[in-house]
Amino acid sequence: MSPVARDRGVFVGMMGLEDDARVDFGRLRAQRRVKVLSGMESHDIDALMLGGVGDVRYVSGARQLGRSGVLPFAPVAVVVKKTERVHLLSTWDEGVPPEIGYDDLYRLSWNPANLAADLATIPGLREARRVGTDGLTPMFAGLISQLVTPAELVDAAPVIASARRTKTPDEITCLDVASAIAEAALSALEGALAPGITEREMLGIYDERIASLGAPMPPSESVCFATPSRGPVRFRHLASDRPIGDGELVVLAPGALYAGYESGLARTRVAGHAGPQGAADLASRCARGMDALIAACRPGNTGADLYTAWEGAGNPDPGVPLAHGLGLGAEPPLIGLGRGGDATIEEGMVLSVQSWVAEEGVGGCLERGTVRIESSGPSALTRYGRL
Amino acid sequence: MELIDDRAAGATIGGRAIPDLPDLPRMHRERFERLQHQLEAQGVDGLVLLGSSSVAYATGAAAPAQDGDRAALFRPVAVVVKGDSAPHLYTLFADGAPSELPDDHLHGPVFPDLDDGMDVFAAALADQFPPGARVGVDDQTHAMLRGLPRFDWVDASDVVGAAKLTKTPDEIACIRNAQRLNELAMSDALAILRPGVRQIDLSAAFLRRVFELGASANGIDPIWQVMAPTRELGPWTLHGDLAYPTVTTDRFLREGDVIWVDAGITWQGYASDYGRTWITGADPVPNAKQQAHFRRWRAVVDAALDVLKPGVSALQLGTTAIDANDGVRPWIEHFYLAHGVGTESAEMPLIGTDLGEGFDEQLMMRPGMVLVFEPVIWEDGAAGYRSEDIVAVTDTGWVKLSGSTYEPYGLTA
Repeated sequence: MSPVARDRGVFVGMMGLEDDARVDFGRLRAQRRVKVLSGMESHDIDALMLGGVGDVRYVSGARQLGRSGVLPFAPVAVVVKKTERVHLLSTWDEGVPPEIGYDDLYRLSWNPANLAADLATIPGLREARRVGTDGLTPMFAGLISQLVTPAELVDAAPVIASARRTKTPDEITCLDVASAIAEAALSALEGALAPGITEREMLGIYDERIASLGAPMPPSESVCFATPSRGPVRFRHLASDRPIGDGELVVLAPGALYAGYESGLARTRVAGHAGPQGAADLASRCARGMDALIAACRPGNTGADLYTAWEGAGNPDPGVPLAHGLGLGAEPPLIGLGRGGDATIEEGMVLSVQSWVAEEGVGGCLERGTVRIESSGPSALTRYGRL
Repeated sequence: MELIDDRAAGATIGGRAIPDLPDLPRMHRERFERLQHQLEAQGVDGLVLLGSSSVAYATGAAAPAQDGDRAALFRPVAVVVKGDSAPHLYTLFADGAPSELPDDHLHGPVFPDLDDGMDVFAAALADQFPPGARVGVDDQTHAMLRGLPRFDWVDASDVVGAAKLTKTPDEIACIRNAQRLNELAMSDALAILRPGVRQIDLSAAFLRRVFELGASANGIDPIWQVMAPTRELGPWTLHGDLAYPTVTTDRFLREGDVIWVDAGITWQGYASDYGRTWITGADPVPNAKQQAHFRRWRAVVDAALDVLKPGVSALQLGTTAIDANDGVRPWIEHFYLAHGVGTESAEMPLIGTDLGEGFDEQLMMRPGMVLVFEPVIWEDGAAGYRSEDIVAVTDTGWVKLSGSTYEPYGLTA
């Protein structure tokens, strides 16, 4: 591939090309690792023991089995500063990048004592003074101190969350690919939307589309909900089996993961031909809220500026986040629901930003986008027309 | 007609029949009673639960299926207080709260992963537990370690694990229904299997159909692993045994590829577990060796089922399966002969793991346990066969929860 592709769209695909890979994953992993090791140096942390899906992926670059939900902490990846090696819980080499050797793998165990015994053989871990973890359980706190290392167990976030907060150009490319997949899913949902279809059927259509594009595990199955044109309007997260009614405003909110990186967007559409009275006003209120939020996503601003922008556009507390970080899944900061007023918006961050407005007698309207923070200001990674 | 309607064929758990469809409020109530009983028995004052499957178990709350870090940041939290009549649920997903949950037990989210707002979580717990209370917890974020009151934290797994070990008839009805949806949707994936289809195409067909059929959520990225004919030609492993499961990609499936399928969805919080062996081709016919693998797999499962009833130990089941395979352990080194299934896709009872023979000897089968038998038959040079049969242990024996077709190997077995 030419040294500097002027049309970055050439990277948005999945097949390898004869002239080069689209994303240089070796470089992506190496840059992440440098950030982690230098963070360990500056925070005086000798080793990391990580269990969070995004953290493990960030330090190892391994393709691990996607599963929904969150598991309690267990040490799935270990980074040792002195040796600069990454050790991974994987019984086999498939999906493991080449810089992690056979000696760096430890086996899947059902017996925590066997896991602890394997961890105890990792060079440099026993001598560590300070070990950062991304969680703990009473059982692992005991096992680690008795069988693995007498080190002080501290929070890994100053290293790992800081490294993840700002994105490298290769990470942005992955987010571009994820954005394109999410847009394709939105197009499929829009095409299928009609009175009589159910939200669960829409979820099936969504999953089919992202899977066929190579990304079968969704960031969330909360992708479609119809809003009532009578009575109270609530943001809903779970698919129902009720047929969507003619003229209802329907939220379509697909996301996608590429190489672990999450992007997503949402638009609101009318099922059928004519929306409820007041739908156009609601949609423009939603768009104004979105524009105000995005405009506030400037380097140096804080979460409080997003709250101010939202309220300044005349909106009440939406009861859902205004924004949160994106990268290898959802990340801090969380802005909204009373949290994140002090969170700083930094150049290099990527945020999911959303505007949710509702009006009794009309319905609800959601707009969501994936926004990259650059020195010049915010720019949307996701593209799609408004209502 | 009654016999035809009774899918449990008269089987009982604790004297009660397995209903065709679960009574969800009753199921939630009985689970909560089990947790309360274990809190009392184990001398624990309450539970703080953060893991998705434990929260679902304790509260009956649904949450949208989400990928790891999103599921973590937006996680619902359950708090169970000894002696209380219902669990407390802290959630962003109010539409997933069970309708019978009292209003004063349903709360907004507490975001355990964030320091910002930890005072809200701390105040909520201080309302429920006195200082120094013995509280079971399944996961602790550093924000919690910094910001919550100093309770006597113990691992919640002893309480939750003991409650979950056996299932009520309603829970078994949920597992059976989840499995039925999973199996029905798999017929759509199998129908498109032919050379040139990619692994992700099978995922697309399966996921589309399983939601049309009514699945609540997908549990794992569906697996369609192509089995190399020898261990040597498969992925390198630490133990020299087979690698399984490896992650789905856009790999093209080719004529004759033997693929080991594994998928799991949830219905009303309960996981299915589908496992079968397929052969890639427009109309594949297993060769003589492949048919022999299947017959041997069937014989191993049947041997274990022949001895399965309350009071039999996990070790006896494992030994029986090994004997039926001429003394060769018929499962992969890092796995098991069988595992349980419930609000997690693999949970206790585990049979034949590295927990060891001493553990298995103590683990007695009891009515209400659910077992997913997944032995593996392997002939180095000719690949092998793996399927999963799910049964529930009943008062007198067992009842099958999974279907009885094994295409393209056999329609019935």
